[in-house]
Amino acid sequence: MIFVIGALTAGIIVLILLQTLAPVYRRRLTALVTFIVGLYWPLEFFYPEHNFLTPWRDSVAELGRILVAFTFGLGGVNLFLIHGRHIIRRTPNLLFSIVFFLGFFAMATAGMMKDFGQNWLEARPGPGQQGFWEASFNILFKGALLPLASTVFSLLAFFIASAAFRAFRARTLEAGLLMATSFLVMMANVPAGPWLTSFLPDEGILRWGRWENIVHWLMTQINTPAMRAILFGVWVGTIGAALRIWLSLERAFVSGP
Amino acid sequence: MEHAKLLSIYTYLPWAIAAIIGAGIFMAQAGRSLHIRRLPAIDAIEEAVGRATEMGRPILFVPGLAGVDVPTFQAVAIAGHIARLAAAYRTRVLMPLSHPVIFTMAEQVLKEAYASAGAPDVFRPEDVRFLSDQQFAFASGVVGLMNRERIATAFFFGNFAAEALILAETGQTLGAIQIAGTPSTLQIPFFIAACDFTVIGEEYYAVTAYLTREPILLGSVWGQDLSRISLAVLVFVASLTYQMMPAGLKALFSFY
Repeated sequence: MIFVIGALTAGIIVLILLQTLAPVYRRRLTALVTFIVGLYWPLEFFYPEHNFLTPWRDSVAELGRILVAFTFGLGGVNLFLIHGRHIIRRTPNLLFSIVFFLGFFAMATAGMMKDFGQNWLEARPGPGQQGFWEASFNILFKGALLPLASTVFSLLAFFIASAAFRAFRARTLEAGLLMATSFLVMMANVPAGPWLTSFLPDEGILRWGRWENIVHWLMTQINTPAMRAILFGVWVGTIGAALRIWLSLERAFVSGP
Repeated sequence: MEHAKLLSIYTYLPWAIAAIIGAGIFMAQAGRSLHIRRLPAIDAIEEAVGRATEMGRPILFVPGLAGVDVPTFQAVAIAGHIARLAAAYRTRVLMPLSHPVIFTMAEQVLKEAYASAGAPDVFRPEDVRFLSDQQFAFASGVVGLMNRERIATAFFFGNFAAEALILAETGQTLGAIQIAGTPSTLQIPFFIAACDFTVIGEEYYAVTAYLTREPILLGSVWGQDLSRISLAVLVFVASLTYQMMPAGLKALFSFY
């Protein structure tokens, strides 16, 4: 309770200061809050074993989740403003905005009534039966949203084919190597590839001629080290970028007009 | 959650890397000239912005699907620099988002970028929009936006998943010039196949330094490069030494 009141008070004070201070001090305050909040996690983790910061871990994580929940409201407001403007101004995109409002209110109503309105507008369903609101929610979520998401996902198959067509045109040595490797890997993943070299023995030097063994070598000795090398660079870069953000050195976030 | 262990090398490596990067920043601030190799993908950013201006069409910037994490913060920083370039030519930047925290941050960064470039009137609040936090709802929203606005240039910077190719192929169909950068290794091949330029691996974290040439950022990138080389040498030497050690001695080093 003390933690909640303390966090709320600190939040309100910081908000008031951010609204009233001159831009220079506002930037300094933002940098200071970023530094203090960012210091908690590395200190808690790198101080060995259970330490004086550990009991606060869940509360700090909870605070983060609450702040994110607040911003979801802002996301909703943004959607309402953009689509409301389309409807008021009767733009060519009016239809999409009407569909947005219909979808938003239908889903929100069904979702809330499923949990909170069962005793209000409908008879209590019997064992094994679905109530009106639960059925409405399932139709909208499982019957509409999930199939629509799967439909968009399925488009990927066509996009992969068109991207592969462009990528595999062997105009350079690199593109030629890429095409040859892709052919080997693709063939190894269908029965035809291993079947073509199935006459070769499983043991001895000749086993390296078997299609699946060639591809296994390519994936473990060429592909994996290359991927790890890229990841290696990425993670060192992440530490550098995290340091810049933590110390407010990345001016994109702290500079004003 | 576990804590760091006193006897593990992993406890000290991040601090060592942070110290090297910090030294780079200090040296750059002290006035030492630091060199970054040429990155063609980043050189092409200004050309891509110019192309959108010539065609009188907007630019699209997608900062990926992730929420509050370092790659997305980096993506928003890159968006700020691109918005400054676009503002100089009075070109709009559309920025669809999938996370509401990033939405509030991106709106502020773009607004300030346009203001600092002297074109606050070009910035429209509706150009930075939250679409959905659902992966494919977001993807279909962005595809719709790309088609309706007939974008001339698309930038994809951030963490991407399966939607990467859907977005990049739509841009390809529209004839947009596309530049992508992602730390998601699984999506790099898709971007290479579908985009004109792709920033890969650690180059992703060098974009803002390369664009602005600010000493602090250049120093940080220099420190990252030195850390990477040092780590590679450490891995190589440690592996070789471990292999050549007698079995009895190996046991001593097996704690981590």
